[in-house]
Amino acid sequence: MSSIPTRFDVVVVGAGPAGSAAAYLLAKKGFSVLLVERGKGLGDKNMFGGKVYAQPIREVWPELDKEAPIHRWVTKERISMVDGEKVLTVEYRTEKKVSFVTYLTQLTQWMIKKAEGAGALLASEVTVEEILMRDNRVVGIRSGPDVIEADAVIDAEGVNRLLLERLGLVKKLDPDTVGLGVKEVLKVGEGNIESRFGLDKKEGLAWAIVGDITKGIPGGGFIYTNKDTVSMGLVLHLSKKLLDEGSFEGHVSSLIEGFRLHPYFKPYWKDAIISEYGGHLTITDAIKFAPSRFAYPGLLIAGDAAGLLLSLGYTFRGVDYAVYSGKLAADAVEYARNNGGVNYENLQVYDDYIRKSFMYEEIMRHRGAITLMNSFELMSKYPKLLTKVMEKMFEAEYKHEVIYNSLLQALKEEGISPFNLISQAFMMVKGI
Amino acid sequence: MRIVVGMKWVPGTTSVRIDPKTGTLIREGVPSIVNPHDMPAVELSLRLKDKYKGEVIAISMAPPPALKGLEYLIGMGVDRGILVSDRAFAGADTLATSYVIAKTIEKINREIGKVDLVIFGQETIDSSTAHIGAQTASWLNWPYIYYVHDAKFVDSKFVVERVLEDAVEEWEVELPAIIATHMKALKPRPVRLINKIRYKVEKPIMTWTNAELKLDPRCIGLKGSPTIVSKTVNVPEVPRKKIVYTPKSGEDAAKWIIETLMKDDKASKVLMKYLSMEGEAQ
Repeated sequence: MSSIPTRFDVVVVGAGPAGSAAAYLLAKKGFSVLLVERGKGLGDKNMFGGKVYAQPIREVWPELDKEAPIHRWVTKERISMVDGEKVLTVEYRTEKKVSFVTYLTQLTQWMIKKAEGAGALLASEVTVEEILMRDNRVVGIRSGPDVIEADAVIDAEGVNRLLLERLGLVKKLDPDTVGLGVKEVLKVGEGNIESRFGLDKKEGLAWAIVGDITKGIPGGGFIYTNKDTVSMGLVLHLSKKLLDEGSFEGHVSSLIEGFRLHPYFKPYWKDAIISEYGGHLTITDAIKFAPSRFAYPGLLIAGDAAGLLLSLGYTFRGVDYAVYSGKLAADAVEYARNNGGVNYENLQVYDDYIRKSFMYEEIMRHRGAITLMNSFELMSKYPKLLTKVMEKMFEAEYKHEVIYNSLLQALKEEGISPFNLISQAFMMVKGI
Repeated sequence: MRIVVGMKWVPGTTSVRIDPKTGTLIREGVPSIVNPHDMPAVELSLRLKDKYKGEVIAISMAPPPALKGLEYLIGMGVDRGILVSDRAFAGADTLATSYVIAKTIEKINREIGKVDLVIFGQETIDSSTAHIGAQTASWLNWPYIYYVHDAKFVDSKFVVERVLEDAVEEWEVELPAIIATHMKALKPRPVRLINKIRYKVEKPIMTWTNAELKLDPRCIGLKGSPTIVSKTVNVPEVPRKKIVYTPKSGEDAAKWIIETLMKDDKASKVLMKYLSMEGEAQ
């Protein structure tokens, strides 16, 4: 057993997008890297809605567009406001390859293969139980009786930060900072995707839904078109209030079923079978969720574990942020090596890298979004108001109301003053 | 001691569906796993190694994806794996499979070192024949004990315990021998990080094709398999009627059951048929 290495330059915990990107780049730069993953199948443990932004990932893998398992490039973005059976939908079409839809498992497996190909040693089906500290510095990891030492540990353990909690670096999960994502994959058939969603081959659609589809729970719905399936689901913002008061009676499964059976959406997946379903936590309040520092002595925190996820309600960015933070972690380790050694003083640059990155700037800039997403106005009042305006405009048997009057009447019926509407709308736009 | 443990790479049958038209398993897209009933066999082999030193070699006759399974066993602490893999072995029934396995064990015996013990699981979850242990023992002419849940040396004699429904038997076995573990005999140990690293660094895996084993093509694969599946019948699930009756006494319960069955067209016919057969027998 003497030839088995028990020391690596870097140990990466978690082979998701963040961990795989870091492991790939570090191995490529010549570091010895151990990548540890607890999932049985690679990519088993992570989940997302369905859409990935490409550009930050291209910085790690320029071959992304050609090689990665991309189902469809998103050419259509839709936003729907739902009030009961009334729905108002806005659609935007583009031809630029900005984001794509895929299965995260497939994409993660592709990233892991890249990391292994570059020379990272992948140990799957193994759970890291502890990040080891000595003299106030992280020195390695422990799994069962096995200890592996490293100059640096990159924690990419995901949203459920058991290791960081055990180290005392983050508090126990605060329900106010996370949401529950539930998702179903519906097998619709390739030809049907194109005809039902009005898409060309390789074209995809991303669809965000707000309103009472979540039955008053802050959050929203999503629909993404994969190759021959549709991913649809809900993100439900958890909160202490919701959990304590039990203000929602029922079960998430009934919520997602209500969405699936909604008369407006139902025809899109007519005769489809549910081929997969799942649930996962997602970050809703990145700022509150983030650890106070991204770099500690011997330890770098990346991906979801670092709270790096942008949730705007109409779009989510987690996978590309994870990959990009993995890249910054690898950059930091390389910087440290070239500047006197992988020690704390040198690794600290990672904290700056993150704070100066587009990700952190975006999260800070859009910090109003969380307040908005949790607000009653967006969840219920505005969808109601806007669908009501539509109702006044279209549901006329003889006379059609002028748009201005439709709005005024709807405002009156919903008890909103025009001044309030303008100021709230302004805040809304500013927040997002 | 040198122990060989058998592993089958099987579809996770909880997720396997049956094609109602052809009656065959739909294996497409079903992830494969290490046959769960092989796990107690692996655990027993590792416990014996912990106690008496030596090495454990896992063998599997399967296509290359089964390497994943051998990796898992090496993660648990198995020293090395041998994948016996060749298109010529495909389509084998238990006779042809056990023949290849017996020949593999002989080759290990010749080229790697003397094999003291071979351990198999009770049966596989995808076919449940429980043939392989007995057939391999027959080919090798080695003693075979089934339903084993423990084994140890007592005064240099190898003693195995086998569980029966209401008894535990102890057998003194001459080595080399083959044993098959009871499916609930032992809880398998988890995978260890250090073993996983060892797997990646040392690659303690060999693949033997028929070029190495040099077996007569008439004795292997489909040609060496006399078993014929003449027909498979898909028995559809019968919906339960969910009738609950609380009887006043045993007699009342029996009366109610007979009455209820007699009211049902199909059930009454079956019942009458068996009742008349009983009469004839008497």
